[in-house]
Amino acid sequence: MERSDIEALAHGCSLLGSGGGGRTTYLELLAAQAAWPITLHDVSDLDPTTPCIAAAFAGSTMLIAERLPAAGSFRPLIAAVERWLGHDVPALCSFEVGGMNGLTGFVAAEGRMLVDADGMGRALPRMDQLSLAVDGVPGLVFAVGTGHGVAVIESPNADEAEAVVRSALRQAGGTGSVVVGGFTVGDLVAHAMPGMLSHALRLGAQYLQARDERLEDFAAAIGGRLLAQGRIGASEGDADPQVHSYEIDDIDGTVHRLVTRTETLALVSDGRLVSASPDVLVVVDPRTKDIIEVPQLKLQQQVAVIELPVADWWRRSATRLRRVLPSFYGLEALDPVAAA
Amino acid sequence: MSGLHVDALRAEKINGGVTYEAGPRDAVWERAEVALVDQDLPSDGSGRFAIVVSPVPAESWRVDALLRRVRDRGYVGFAAPGAARLDAGSRRLAERIGLLVLGVERPFELAEVTWRIAEARDALALDLIRRLATAFRYPASDLRDLLGHIASSAGYGVALLDADGVYEQAGGDLGSAAAMIDWSVGIDILEHEGMSVASTRVDRASRPGLRLAFFASGVGQAQRMALAVAAQVTMPAVAARILIDEIAAVSDASASSELLRDFLDAGEQDADIGRRMTERGWRTTGFHLGFRMVGRTRLDPRELLRAVTAGLGEFEVEAHATTMGRGVVGWMRFVERPDPAELDRQVRRLRELHLQVRRTFNIATGVGTLQAGGAGLSATIDDAVGAARIAVERSLSDWFVRIDAFGLEQLLLARTESDTFVPAAEALLAPLRAEGGGLIETLAVYLDNESGIAATAQQLGIHRNTVAQRVRRIEELLGVDLRDASARLALHLASRAMLR
Repeated sequence: MERSDIEALAHGCSLLGSGGGGRTTYLELLAAQAAWPITLHDVSDLDPTTPCIAAAFAGSTMLIAERLPAAGSFRPLIAAVERWLGHDVPALCSFEVGGMNGLTGFVAAEGRMLVDADGMGRALPRMDQLSLAVDGVPGLVFAVGTGHGVAVIESPNADEAEAVVRSALRQAGGTGSVVVGGFTVGDLVAHAMPGMLSHALRLGAQYLQARDERLEDFAAAIGGRLLAQGRIGASEGDADPQVHSYEIDDIDGTVHRLVTRTETLALVSDGRLVSASPDVLVVVDPRTKDIIEVPQLKLQQQVAVIELPVADWWRRSATRLRRVLPSFYGLEALDPVAAA
Repeated sequence: MSGLHVDALRAEKINGGVTYEAGPRDAVWERAEVALVDQDLPSDGSGRFAIVVSPVPAESWRVDALLRRVRDRGYVGFAAPGAARLDAGSRRLAERIGLLVLGVERPFELAEVTWRIAEARDALALDLIRRLATAFRYPASDLRDLLGHIASSAGYGVALLDADGVYEQAGGDLGSAAAMIDWSVGIDILEHEGMSVASTRVDRASRPGLRLAFFASGVGQAQRMALAVAAQVTMPAVAARILIDEIAAVSDASASSELLRDFLDAGEQDADIGRRMTERGWRTTGFHLGFRMVGRTRLDPRELLRAVTAGLGEFEVEAHATTMGRGVVGWMRFVERPDPAELDRQVRRLRELHLQVRRTFNIATGVGTLQAGGAGLSATIDDAVGAARIAVERSLSDWFVRIDAFGLEQLLLARTESDTFVPAAEALLAPLRAEGGGLIETLAVYLDNESGIAATAQQLGIHRNTVAQRVRRIEELLGVDLRDASARLALHLASRAMLR
């Protein structure tokens, strides 16, 4: 991959962010300082026994924009994981392709082999939604910055890892860096989503090529389904302070409700659920096709909602699906009936 | 069976606190289903109304989904607590998918009333009758009070109508629907501009042409039938009330009539009479102007009194009336002596009342002189009685005579009654009779009006110049000067005698 690919990759990652995952701008600048070109290794090209890690920035995406993380913040974490495992880890893959973390691998690799695979296939809020954790790959080790030090967590229970990582992030000031190790490149074939980085690159290229076209054609060009186009008429909160719902008054009269959390979660049109997590719901400006993140949504804004299909990996078992359906966030009513 | 709609529910007194929120107002349904949550509603809701006991969710997307689920099962309407907080989007959705949405405070009550209206119209009527029964539990002071009790117990409007329209009503305004009632049938049920009216004839021998109507706006067929039942059931009570009021009026009239007679006979010095007058509010201090209305043909003095009392109610001065003989006697009371202009104004009002009453009763009216104190009251009534006796014969003044201050009319009356006077008068006025052309009438009226050309012209309905011409012609024919007082007196007497 060349340095000039960053723009397309960033747009692809933003689309897969599903309205969340953080803006890519800062990571684009950090990635530009890496040593290009960078080779993106296919999973099948490497020895399956090669130890591998994944890295991500975590915490509030809004805080990250305020407290810019340092490029070198992963080094002590990776060192801690390597110490814990007792051997070097020569490969690094993507933790979360959606949003800013789609570019994190290019910043954190620092000479390690960058593997074209991802642990989420989109943006998701929690550690226990990492595909390797969902499948219960044994021996996973999380390392997280605690502000000045490092916490290393080894637990067969992904919920525990999530809870401890979350409290470490709070201790670190709301944002920080997370690294997970203890798996091999071979594990990525079954327990992660190989090819996601190159997929994001292709998606971004299609986006850049089609962004001047009509909305319908644009949606088709990026492989998506145009679900709504209109004005945000109202917004309201929920019992869960993270959940919001935006009323989109469609130009054809349909009453849409876009339900969001840190990412977009579901779209209800005229009272019918038309799309829900894990599928990706991208909000764009209908004219400029600028990708709009959830925190940027505001009243009277003209928006279009496009559904992009999520990686098949999530639908291959009920256990996996359960971790990403709206019911996982307590919104059972937004689960597609067929899946429930 | 005709269906139920939102206005019919809202017209019910007990309706669970229903409010219209969104969707098509004209939705009609046959029956309602009740469930704790919408998922428990029967899956085939076609043409039905869904009542959900659980409050609607707070989140609008959940509300949207709920409305859609209910509509997808075929329900035409939906009511649940908290529907008032639907946001604009959900309201638009209700309109889009054609689902009537109602708010309700007490869903079970709504379910019950819906069942009663839609499926058990007898229950509806029975319930109404049960409620009406409470109206008779408390004594009503008069007809108006009774209608008020009935209206508030029934929760509908009640009106008593006569040929002129609404006579008395309570619990609403019947409005223009009153004119639509068919008087030829015993029970009439109609709907006019959203107002439903059920009316029944009131059987009363003394006052024919009364109808009792129950009315309500926006109710359905079943409720209209219940209104008709209510009208039929209530009618005898209303008829009885009218009878009771009439008897009370009769006994009151005879008591007051007797008191007046005693007063005129004995005066107020009698302590008992004085007390009875005080109880009745008849005060003798101040100034009084008596009047007497007497039937020129047979009439019921009590009916006349009713009409006169109603008319007196609109006077801004204190006025009393009671029956006496073939008619009514009354008087106005002034605390201060009224100036002549004010007195004239009150006499004009009496004259208007006289003309108004004459449309129904063939009466003559006499008005007395203004008198002060208790003795004055007797005197002015005596004057009025005398004046009425004159008025009976006075078609020219529309059977209305006011005694002037000098008692001339009494004098005239006494003179003209003598047998010798009439032939003399005939001889005196023979030239005028020979000439014809209403000269005698003109002379009489001219003298009545104290030689006023304009007043004479007005009373006779002819031009002033004609009056002036006739007066000159009369002076020529009779060879008299009408400015001569003795000539005037003679001619006045003669002309009055001739015209009797």
